[in-house]
Amino acid sequence: MTTTTVDRAPTRKAPPGPPGGPRRRLGRGEARWGVLLALPAILGFAIFTIGPMVASLIFSLTDWQIGGDPQFIGFGNYVEMADDPLFWKSLGVTTYYTLAAVPLTLFVGFVVALLVNQSFRGQSLWRTVYYLPTLVPAVASAVLWIWIFNPDFGLFNTILRSVGLPTSNWLYSESTAIPSLVIMATWGFGNAMVIFLAGLQGVPGQLYEAVALDGGGAWAKFRHVTWPFMTPVIFYNLVTGVIGTFQVFNQAYVMTEGGPNNATLFYIYYLYTKAFTDSEMGYASALAWVLFLIVMVVTVVLFRNARSWVFYEMGDAR
Amino acid sequence: MTGSPNLSRRDVLKIGGGLAATVGIGGSLAACSGGNEFEYMFWGSTGEQDAIEAMLAGFQDTQEDLTIKPVYTPADYDTKLNALVASGNVPDLGYVQPAMAYRLAEQGKLLDLAPHFDEYPSLGQRLPGSYFYWEEDKCLGTQGANETVITFYNRAAFAETGAQPPPASAAEAWDWDTYVENAYLLTADQSGRRPDEAGFDPTQVARFGTLASMWSGAWYGLLLSAGVDVVDSSGTRTMLDSPEAIDMFQKLVDLMYEHRVAPSPSQLGNNAPSMAVQLASGRLGMAIDGQWALLDVSQADFDFGVGVLPSLGTPKTTAMGGPTAIFADTEYVEQALELYAFQSDPDQVDLFSSGLWMPLEEKYYTDPEAIASWTDNDAHPPEYKTAVIDYTLENSQTYFTQKLRNVEEIDRLITSTTERIQTGEEDVATVMGELAAQLNDGMLQGVYPSAPQ
Repeated sequence: MTTTTVDRAPTRKAPPGPPGGPRRRLGRGEARWGVLLALPAILGFAIFTIGPMVASLIFSLTDWQIGGDPQFIGFGNYVEMADDPLFWKSLGVTTYYTLAAVPLTLFVGFVVALLVNQSFRGQSLWRTVYYLPTLVPAVASAVLWIWIFNPDFGLFNTILRSVGLPTSNWLYSESTAIPSLVIMATWGFGNAMVIFLAGLQGVPGQLYEAVALDGGGAWAKFRHVTWPFMTPVIFYNLVTGVIGTFQVFNQAYVMTEGGPNNATLFYIYYLYTKAFTDSEMGYASALAWVLFLIVMVVTVVLFRNARSWVFYEMGDAR
Repeated sequence: MTGSPNLSRRDVLKIGGGLAATVGIGGSLAACSGGNEFEYMFWGSTGEQDAIEAMLAGFQDTQEDLTIKPVYTPADYDTKLNALVASGNVPDLGYVQPAMAYRLAEQGKLLDLAPHFDEYPSLGQRLPGSYFYWEEDKCLGTQGANETVITFYNRAAFAETGAQPPPASAAEAWDWDTYVENAYLLTADQSGRRPDEAGFDPTQVARFGTLASMWSGAWYGLLLSAGVDVVDSSGTRTMLDSPEAIDMFQKLVDLMYEHRVAPSPSQLGNNAPSMAVQLASGRLGMAIDGQWALLDVSQADFDFGVGVLPSLGTPKTTAMGGPTAIFADTEYVEQALELYAFQSDPDQVDLFSSGLWMPLEEKYYTDPEAIASWTDNDAHPPEYKTAVIDYTLENSQTYFTQKLRNVEEIDRLITSTTERIQTGEEDVATVMGELAAQLNDGMLQGVYPSAPQ
């Protein structure tokens, strides 16, 4: 075990000098270079993110069908949403999917990360195997799972049938369509696992030794060392997972087209159809802003709630 | 950063100006690269891509100063076209979905072809149902090609089971019971048992007699044959909750769950092989589908036939096709009209003789020489004349989606409703009643004039 000595040098103060002297001119030059080098990123953000956001905010206040002239209607689109059954349906479907997929993916990712963090033969191979599904392109993955879920000749029902268990209609039934997609999402736990694994490797080993010296077993090590140190990582995966899952689109676009009977009408897929099938860009923009607000509120709630359970080694770090 | 060179305001402006000039020149070059370019935007299979590009190459030979540029867009067509419209960068001519075409026409984005019908007779003498009039005297164009819905079948399966092949003329169309009887004869599980024999295993079906497609194009002809339509003549009240419509949907559901002669959606699967493959492999005995499938069916290696649809009263089918439109912003109106006529000429496009498309001009349905020009080949079986050409001319009605206003929302609701009933778990009358209540609650907003007045 090595120790590190931190050289706590006294805080240096800038040497006194007249304003506009050589140091200040150097700082201004550096600032210009800084701005110039950052300019592509700043411009990209302004043109491709802030610009469209502002435009969509304005469009959301208009009745605009592509090709026609936008008519300002204030909050008309937002009011219309309250009476739009498909808006509520898509919101419900997306929330249901998020509440099921995110915890399950994090749980599986965390457990597998704990397993592959152990020293055993073939450790690297298993890490790779578990991570591989995340490398499969989304559409290829969707086609694979369409076969797995096929009630007639798909993998799952073939296995269930062979052991005498009842089969399911998976994607073809309103009640099982979302659970099926949750199973598929969980298969892609590799990203979460890798981040958990990185977190696990940052847990100081001497703390485990301390627990062992105090007579603590595996559970005590997990409860009092692993878990607290991993809470920031869990929190990160939770926040990014929730944000990403609220924006799920591919499964509906490639696998179900929102069916059966709108059971998989995810919010973004509905937004997409309003924008590009119905060409109602004003309404679609309003849908986008409502989703933005929902995600923002959920994220704020998660951050506030995090203070009660996330442990930071640096104390007040956030 | 120690030692970094200082940048004066002038340096920053120089660099910024250089960047702007680079972007500007690049943009200008991109904008100028077109010259006298004429864009033709279309979707379709790679086979259709080849045929359209060959047709455009043929048209190019007639043009000296114009470069015809095919813009093949096989996926996300509406998304791309919407983006082009929003950016004011539309093609000169292209395929457009019916609902979007009507909207663009009302917004003044599409050329009114009606004033040009006298000048281009081949545009004015097309099948009446193929026109898209958005106002009484304003026409955005016609279908790019015609299509109809028919029955395809595997002759060997019929010969093997003793079933009678589907009739090839409307006058002899099967009634529903005969259709079901023959579907029973064709259906067999892995042990060779039929659905009406003891021990039939519905989970191990080797061949289904038919399909029970819930796609509206497939059932619309059956609905019409029962004497009702999706909407009444005003286009503001639906007839889908009528006893005739409920009976028609119940009959389709029964094919899957009572008679077990057609696969349920779960048995069929989302990634099921195409109808042509299923027919060719013997997995299916017969199927109701669009005439365009003739291209794939005729290229598959099996003995096939075509017939008319079963009838629930009066033999009926549906005719359909996406519109092709000239964009109002085109600088080349004359050439666009010439190409518009050129593209639907069976002598110029081999998609007619290959089986994918049917012509639009009436003479190709009535004049024996003109009929032979596109059907006298291996793709079109001998019974095609009565089973498809005469059937289309005398027994077809234009697909309802080509004339209904607000059709995107309506179609979405009908699709989600038929997804409910095809599970076989809900009462058809109740579901159709709920559908009608929603349609009649302001969703039905009338019809476009559609056909010439």
